[in-house]
Amino acid sequence: MKPQLLFRPLRPAVAADGPTELDLVLSVRVPGLPPAHHRTALNLALVIDCSASMAGSKLSHARKAARFLAGALSSRDRLAIVAFDQEAAVLVPSQHVRDPHPFIGAINSLSPGSGTAIFDGWLAGATEVAEHFDAQGLNRVLLLSDGQATSGLQDADAIAEVVTGLTQRGVGTTAIGLGAGFDEDLMAAVAAAGGGTLGFIESQQHLVEFCTSEVTGLLQTAAHGLTFQLCPMDGVELLEILNDLPKCGEAEYQLPNLRYGQEFVVGLRLRLPAWSPNRDIARVTLEWQTPGGQRAERLTRELTLPVKPQGEVQKLAADEFVAEQMALLAANRERRRAIELHDIGDFTSVLRCLESIDELLASAPQTEAVCRERRLMEGHQKLIRADRNLSRKRLRSESLRSSLSIWESGGGHG
Amino acid sequence: MDEFAPVVDAVNGLDASAMRLEELLHRAAAFLGEQVSTRTARLYATEGLMDRPAKEGRRAVYGQRHLLQLLLVRTLARRGLSLSAIAPLVVGSDTELTDQLRLLDDEPQSQSPNRQRDEALAFLQSVRSSPVQFLGSPLSARSPSLRSSRMSGRSASASSRWHRFSLAPGVELHLSESASIPLPGERRDAWLERLFNRLREQLDVE
Repeated sequence: MKPQLLFRPLRPAVAADGPTELDLVLSVRVPGLPPAHHRTALNLALVIDCSASMAGSKLSHARKAARFLAGALSSRDRLAIVAFDQEAAVLVPSQHVRDPHPFIGAINSLSPGSGTAIFDGWLAGATEVAEHFDAQGLNRVLLLSDGQATSGLQDADAIAEVVTGLTQRGVGTTAIGLGAGFDEDLMAAVAAAGGGTLGFIESQQHLVEFCTSEVTGLLQTAAHGLTFQLCPMDGVELLEILNDLPKCGEAEYQLPNLRYGQEFVVGLRLRLPAWSPNRDIARVTLEWQTPGGQRAERLTRELTLPVKPQGEVQKLAADEFVAEQMALLAANRERRRAIELHDIGDFTSVLRCLESIDELLASAPQTEAVCRERRLMEGHQKLIRADRNLSRKRLRSESLRSSLSIWESGGGHG
Repeated sequence: MDEFAPVVDAVNGLDASAMRLEELLHRAAAFLGEQVSTRTARLYATEGLMDRPAKEGRRAVYGQRHLLQLLLVRTLARRGLSLSAIAPLVVGSDTELTDQLRLLDDEPQSQSPNRQRDEALAFLQSVRSSPVQFLGSPLSARSPSLRSSRMSGRSASASSRWHRFSLAPGVELHLSESASIPLPGERRDAWLERLFNRLREQLDVE
């Protein structure tokens, strides 16, 4: 089943006798269920932080998660286990998971050390995956850390650039931040560069839940390497894209992987001059790869809308789904401003920013999703006073929902 | 389309005269494995990427040359070439168009599993052996600019102040932090021109 591309304008017409500011949602989804007769093989490396801060229950839960992985994979899949403190060690080289015991034995032997060489750990895991690259399967590093990088390469931009380089060569990365002490900016940069999932796991008890979701998500991947290119036609101006999508070319943006049944929305705002009937407004080209596919597939759609007098366009009923999605995307984006204010220690302005996000949401249709979002805002206003570190982590995670595949406890992928 | 030689032979063996547009697109789709819309084909004709069709009465008709042009345009576009870059490649003779398609056979778009593995491993090896543990990804808009990378893309453990940038497959630029890059403007342009001339001299010597 191929991805479908759908335009949903806020109002289903543009003006013939004056300019139009056109809000619309671009919906990308893959309908249906994964083919029952085909299961994608997984080639994974689990890279576990074994620094001193992982001692105790965190390491215990990391062991549980690794044991779950070893048990959940089949003999068609490959798994490697890498541990790192101030240096990286390959505990179990990549091999087919015919018997989970060698993996479990190695995981049980993990003991905490000193230092956190996140990049070296990733590099060792990435090498294990690359050496056994499976062109028909999904190749991914699962990087788990609870702390800040203290050894080796530490610059988030530089690490992300290397991770991007490997993603472009077919090996992705999922980043899992555990507890309250990890570097959310680094892990977010790694997940974004790796085209994988970003998991902020506040409570280690949720680690196994995350691994279940990740394996299920990988097996249900319908399209990866997704990009879309937007070409506004002559006279049309792209005012903004509400998502913070990584750019990967001229007017080309990277989208997260899509699972069967999953929908991803992009919010667009265009400005048009007086328009004439049957004239294309924009052209969007979607490109993706299916697991096992040898080359990119492509789909192009042109946006055309009915043309009416300006007065009539304004009277048309707004599409509630589009209004809801535009408000949610704008609220995600505004969180970035709250984080910037947070980082300079201006917490009064952070609170004001959170209030303005709530006002923005209050003016949108009060759907279930919008109400949930407003409850999150209410929670942030309390949390910012009680636990600024946790508040920042949550704001960062939520701000990335419109550009990344985010795992949320209890709710699966966001 | 991994193997173009059989495709070229098949195209040359077709009775491909006086096709209607729908038939041309149907035949192209069979070779390409993707549908080409009438709108796209007309765009190509308007942009000069495909010859204008001949006329039989009031009917537009297409021949083997149109099919070769369409296959070439779509194949090159799928490899990331812009239409303006493709345009000069489709104006040659039928033989030249055929040769272009055959040439593509030597660099198939789909990569063999081993090639993908080798590329990933070679990339990781280059990261390990990089003097500053910083390597540019294949050149794209996602890559940071030289200037911003010089500010931020730096290994904390680096003892050397050199940066590497991948400009194109197999082409790298090594840049020292002590290099004096003129500010944008005439002096920057003149500096770049001198570099370009030096590069051309090097290539001409070889």
